Amino acid sequence: MTPTLLGRWQTRLLLTETVGLVITLLFCGGTFGNPAGPIFFWLLQYIVLFGLGWDYLYIYIQSWRWDQDWPAALQWIAALWEGLFIILIVEVANLKLPGTGIAPGWHLGWFMVHYGLVWLAVFITSQSFMRLIFPRWRFRGGQWL
Amino acid sequence: MSTLPGQVRLSWQDPVTGEQRTPLLTCPITLGREFACMPVELHGQRVARIVLNSSQVSRYHTLIEWVQGHIRITDQNSSNGTWINGVLQTSCHISSGDLLKIGPYEITLMFTLDGRGLPTAEASEQSIIQVPEPANPVPEEPAATPINILPPAFQAHQLVVQDLHATQLPVEEIDYLAVGAGLGSFIWVDFLRICGVAVQQIRALGIEDRPYARYQRLCLNSQIPAHERLRSNSDSCPDNIWGWPGYALREAWHEFNKGNMNPALQYLWQVFAEPTFAQTYTPRSGNVFASIDREAIRIGWPQIYRFGRVRAIRQTQDGRYAIAYSPGRKQTAFVVARHVHLATGYPVLQFLPDLKAYREQTHDFKSVVNAYEDHRHVYETLERQGGTVLLRGRGIVASRILQRLYEARQRQPNISVLHLMRSPKPQGNRFGKAQRLVENHFEFQPFNWPKACWGGTLREELEQATPEQRTNLLADWGGTTTADRRDWKRFVQQGVDQGWYQITFGEVTQVVPNTQARPTTYIQEKGLRGEVKLEADFIIDATGLDSKVKASPLLNDLVTHYNLPLNPAGRFAVANDFELLEMRNHYGRLYAAGAITFGGPHAAVDSFLGLQYAALCAVDGLVAARAPNLQRLNGLNSLRQWLKWVQNQTP
Repeated sequence: MTPTLLGRWQTRLLLTETVGLVITLLFCGGTFGNPAGPIFFWLLQYIVLFGLGWDYLYIYIQSWRWDQDWPAALQWIAALWEGLFIILIVEVANLKLPGTGIAPGWHLGWFMVHYGLVWLAVFITSQSFMRLIFPRWRFRGGQWL
Repeated sequence: MSTLPGQVRLSWQDPVTGEQRTPLLTCPITLGREFACMPVELHGQRVARIVLNSSQVSRYHTLIEWVQGHIRITDQNSSNGTWINGVLQTSCHISSGDLLKIGPYEITLMFTLDGRGLPTAEASEQSIIQVPEPANPVPEEPAATPINILPPAFQAHQLVVQDLHATQLPVEEIDYLAVGAGLGSFIWVDFLRICGVAVQQIRALGIEDRPYARYQRLCLNSQIPAHERLRSNSDSCPDNIWGWPGYALREAWHEFNKGNMNPALQYLWQVFAEPTFAQTYTPRSGNVFASIDREAIRIGWPQIYRFGRVRAIRQTQDGRYAIAYSPGRKQTAFVVARHVHLATGYPVLQFLPDLKAYREQTHDFKSVVNAYEDHRHVYETLERQGGTVLLRGRGIVASRILQRLYEARQRQPNISVLHLMRSPKPQGNRFGKAQRLVENHFEFQPFNWPKACWGGTLREELEQATPEQRTNLLADWGGTTTADRRDWKRFVQQGVDQGWYQITFGEVTQVVPNTQARPTTYIQEKGLRGEVKLEADFIIDATGLDSKVKASPLLNDLVTHYNLPLNPAGRFAVANDFELLEMRNHYGRLYAAGAITFGGPHAAVDSFLGLQYAALCAVDGLVAARAPNLQRLNGLNSLRQWLKWVQNQTP
């Protein structure tokens, strides 16, 4: 991938709020044997929100690379960091993010499963389906609008 | 040739076009990015001002003066400095043969302090040869200017279609015409078919029925057989406009089905981690050609293609274009089309002037060859009896030739290679915060442009830039590079260690036959310490292709007849969607793609993916112009077409 900042934002918003949302709603309904509740929905919104900021940082790092590219391996490293950041906020800094205080509350194990599945679905879609429905997407650094 | 004291020959290879520049100038000489920012006169002497296009060059960068019997060079407080022989200098005396580096420009300075002769340099315009044609083409009319055989109607600015019918020669009227019938044409036609146009609405004119025929021949000549890999990305698929599944996934699937798990996983790992944690994946040329064959049948290419040498293109009075072509010896026919796409590729091969001069003098076409010509005899002779090869050029083709010579050495150890480079390469190009990697004087980059030139930040930046800024950007990103392949690096290291491979730096003064009729190269080393003589059995020129439109009679006629503007690189000035705006004719549109548009809105115009980008832009432009039966490709429509591709059904 050779994303632009606008492309990163557009792709992130579209994929997390479609593919990611479908998986999240399943979690909200307790489909996987997890405690049902809206916390998964709120966490997804925080992941998107923080992600828009992280994209700024990634574009800066990218400008140090001669090819100005962002290999899949770096996408994975970035995703690991973004998940870890949420965990750090909740578990270590003990910050209460608005909307996450609702029952059944935070559960580290279920967060990791939820986040992992959302990320995997977003990644696989971005590598395949996006190219098929938006043929201009790969030439425009991830912009689909 | 005698020169005056204070005269300096500057010689460099243009980082944008690859052309050799060798002006002979009288001091004072200034170098900088903006002509108007350099002084007109210094100490009452007229200044020779040289403009170097690059963002790494300051507006007024460096001054070269003749001071008390010496040539002195002074940096003008530039942002990125003046480097002499790899050392940063603010002001110093220089010797003849010294290497001046300013941004991406590496300029050799040659002069004599006493006015003795300097070696002559030939104009780069002459140093071209024709791209090799198929072994058995339909014979060409003997050198007659093609335009002469055309009816008088073609002299008009806009011709009347009835005049063509009046000639009694065959006239075909069609909606879409692709001129060239190579990969650029094929990819545009692929888009048209997928976007709804029928086979009988499209015609492609060219001289070879397989769209990749010429590309394949250049690959084979430059020693890339079917099992070897091209310098192309996994998702640059000329057979699939979506780029998915890419060649890596397909090759991995193929290996997986044969039970070969290791290579399958390796290809997947490569596309996952390239170029940072793994060597970049590139597809085998044979797989690419086979995939194009499949797509060609699917879209009906055999029915669309016609043999024909295109002679001239004219606007018609009814808002279309008339194309005259020869369908065979001494025959002429016409196509009248509403929308035309020009993708004629590289008209000529670039050939080093000294090597061309050698061939003209000696008529020896066996010992001095261009890497893109058929030169199998070189390896056959070497494998039989051994010998020395002088290799010129440091790009990807040179690397591939080196690999072939390494393979020849496995059969015949008595082969040695002398790699002649113009100058050392201590550091790579810089752009913004990034710098290109250099090792053993080879500059590395996975593809021929930084990757973001195809679809990332750099593509956007180039598209938005002015023509002058584009030249600067292309100079910063361009230059000769090769791929960072582990096997190639191993061959170089082994060769250096075992002594059969040697890199020599110098400016060639002449190439002449010795008493045994072997080509002998004379090079000038630093400080006029005298000439060095290099003898070899073969010289291989691996310096590249040239795409100046003036080199093609067809394009030259079009430019002259309609007074078309050229861009600063001497190619067609196209709009951001690759239309030749000056050729617009009511509803009629003329688009171009490929090497003939280099220097414009897109850097990688001659790559598979670049051709797909150009075709997509052109087809989107045609959709906006309400071209017949054409629908915008997007969303479910695009997905449906992809499913047809998967099932190998006609679009």
